[in-house]
Amino acid sequence: MRSQSRFKSKTRKRRKTRNKYFEIEEGGRLNPLARYVARVCLDPTKTLIEHTTTTTAAGSLHTHIDKMSQSLRPYLQCVRSSLTSALCLSNFASQTSERHNVPEIEAQTSPEVLLNPLTVARNENERVLIEPSINSVRISIKIKQADEIENILVHKFTRFLTQRAEAFFILRRKPIKGYDISFLITNFHTEEMLKHKLVDFIIQFMEEVDKEISEMKLFLNARARFVAESFLTPFD
Amino acid sequence: MNIIQQHSDASLAENWRTINIDLLDPESSSNFDTTTLHPAFAAVSADEARGIGQQVRQLLRGGDAEGALRGSLEMVPYGGDASAKEIHLQTVTEVLQSIKASEMTPMLQRIFQSEGGSEALDVLMKYLYKGMASSATHKTPSRGSTLTPQSTGFSQMGGRPGAGNESSGAAMSVLLSWHEKVVEVAGLGCINRSMTDWRKV
Repeated sequence: MRSQSRFKSKTRKRRKTRNKYFEIEEGGRLNPLARYVARVCLDPTKTLIEHTTTTTAAGSLHTHIDKMSQSLRPYLQCVRSSLTSALCLSNFASQTSERHNVPEIEAQTSPEVLLNPLTVARNENERVLIEPSINSVRISIKIKQADEIENILVHKFTRFLTQRAEAFFILRRKPIKGYDISFLITNFHTEEMLKHKLVDFIIQFMEEVDKEISEMKLFLNARARFVAESFLTPFD
Repeated sequence: MNIIQQHSDASLAENWRTINIDLLDPESSSNFDTTTLHPAFAAVSADEARGIGQQVRQLLRGGDAEGALRGSLEMVPYGGDASAKEIHLQTVTEVLQSIKASEMTPMLQRIFQSEGGSEALDVLMKYLYKGMASSATHKTPSRGSTLTPQSTGFSQMGGRPGAGNESSGAAMSVLLSWHEKVVEVAGLGCINRSMTDWRKV
């Protein structure tokens, strides 16, 4: 009886850890990054106020960036300034169909309102594509993937997020070709939310996602070692 | 009957459901003539671009890095074809890579304050983005084709794909630090102008 209950609690614990990243946890909670994303998107004003009081936009964020690796800082700084410039959006009704208002970067129906796309690359495997247009900006991120495990982890993680794109507002349901995750920011988003917070959010996402993936990889390796050990014990 | 026949003939030739009919309408916004958005360019051949590159390299060898940078930013082959533009991109990248990090900011400030300096930095910004875009696209075999040597499991023997291209990472970091310095000197408007300008490099 006792051993059984111990077994039960163990499996439950394990299931919980397995679900930690890919699914909603048993208590209906998301993992930390997803939770942050959800918080910002679901309640922009409140979180943004919280955010300002805790991090005071420029100040502590910059000190935080300073602590990062030497090559990551200019990369993120470059993305930040490019994004800030690209997010100058205005309302623009569709030229093809009356009383429609579509993101021009997605519709691609008139070349005159599309601006030159900007690519920011840290190396071949980490880059950001910013495609600006008059009323929308599409931001696509290629997340660092050092090997096939990270490949799978990134795929699972981005799928987790894109399946919940509805709640994230600016997340695009499908990444564009060659990239792992895409965001679509329209003039309606910049009207509703604070522009510099949207930029902060993307930058923070880029910071966190690398950390998250490497953490997941370590966790996966530890788990694989444990499984292999217990599998091979009888043959010892 | 005749119409039906025509239809089936057309659909045999191509799938007419996928035709974008907006493109057939001369009044459609898809057919906007974008050449009206920029001045006419003089055609520049690849050889001429190569010639400019030689001149710039000579300045560089002579120790006049600032002159080389200015020269490469002023003689931009807007009217050239893809190969001429590619050659000039290489010229600019070479100049950028040969300038020391400590000299960047003072040099940019001198250029910015001189006649037509703001224009030159806009062009530099365009080249920085183009440089990052071009080395991001043409690259070593894509991830999909690098399969594990063993069919089972995930091998870590394959080597990191990032390990082989340290040089590209170094080239990127040069461009990134230039980008940072240009924004410091010329401001964010510089990025906006490089986004909206139809004189593409």
